[in-house]
Amino acid sequence: MVHYSTSLDSSFAALADPVRRDVLVRLARRDASISDLAGAFEMTLTGMKKHVQVLEDAGLVTTEKVGRVRWCRLGPRRLEKENEWIAKYQSMLEARYDRLGEFLERTRGEHP
Amino acid sequence: MTTTTAHMSTNAATLSTPSDREIRVERIFNAPRERVWKAMNDPALIAQWWGRGNKLVVEKHEPVRGGHWRYVEHANGEQHGFEGRYAEVTPPERVVRTFEWDGMPGHVILETATLEDLGDGRTKLVSVSLFMTTADRDGMLHSGMEGGMNESYRALDKVLASMK
Repeated sequence: MVHYSTSLDSSFAALADPVRRDVLVRLARRDASISDLAGAFEMTLTGMKKHVQVLEDAGLVTTEKVGRVRWCRLGPRRLEKENEWIAKYQSMLEARYDRLGEFLERTRGEHP
Repeated sequence: MTTTTAHMSTNAATLSTPSDREIRVERIFNAPRERVWKAMNDPALIAQWWGRGNKLVVEKHEPVRGGHWRYVEHANGEQHGFEGRYAEVTPPERVVRTFEWDGMPGHVILETATLEDLGDGRTKLVSVSLFMTTADRDGMLHSGMEGGMNESYRALDKVLASMK
């Protein structure tokens, strides 16, 4: 039984992490197994399980075991479209600044 | 795609949400302010990092107050356009512009990027993104639009009732 009275806090905590935001963006497109997600984010199975657990506790993701595979899909507390966009935007922003940092390192000395 | 804070721990971005409609990112770059400014405002250089590894075409670049910008990311056979207008361009320290994605038209974000010279060859970027949609919506609700709408519905109810 999930209690939603604390869901706002837990969803904020769940969304504070860029990997978890990206997991939601990915699951919005299609369901995925934990090992799919671990592979996509170049992460250990254990590491990804922890992220999924936090998202599941927040009601943002549900999981179901089919045979040996645990499948994840967006949970009952779906993010409204706008919040989904904010999560996506935030991930893009961080990825962009990472690229900018890499670019500046790579071109050190080339540009005045 | 995800951020790689682990291997870049020295320059990891710090992210905070000062309000529920604001995202603030701070990040230090190992480059002087002029170089960071150029990388962020020269279209040939923007194309090399802004697309997060995807091909980027800078279709419009008018970095003056009121000028337009439009970048298109090409990924997996798809195109994603982003665009907006400049509200302020103050080299080499501040750019304020709107940001809209073709996929979410009407959801305008006001982006303020400030570059701070740390004096040791490094530069601190402070980026604040203000989501205007909900604020606008809340503003309209408070200004009595809700009441106005209810009145309209009541009027409609009457009309519908008289048509029976």
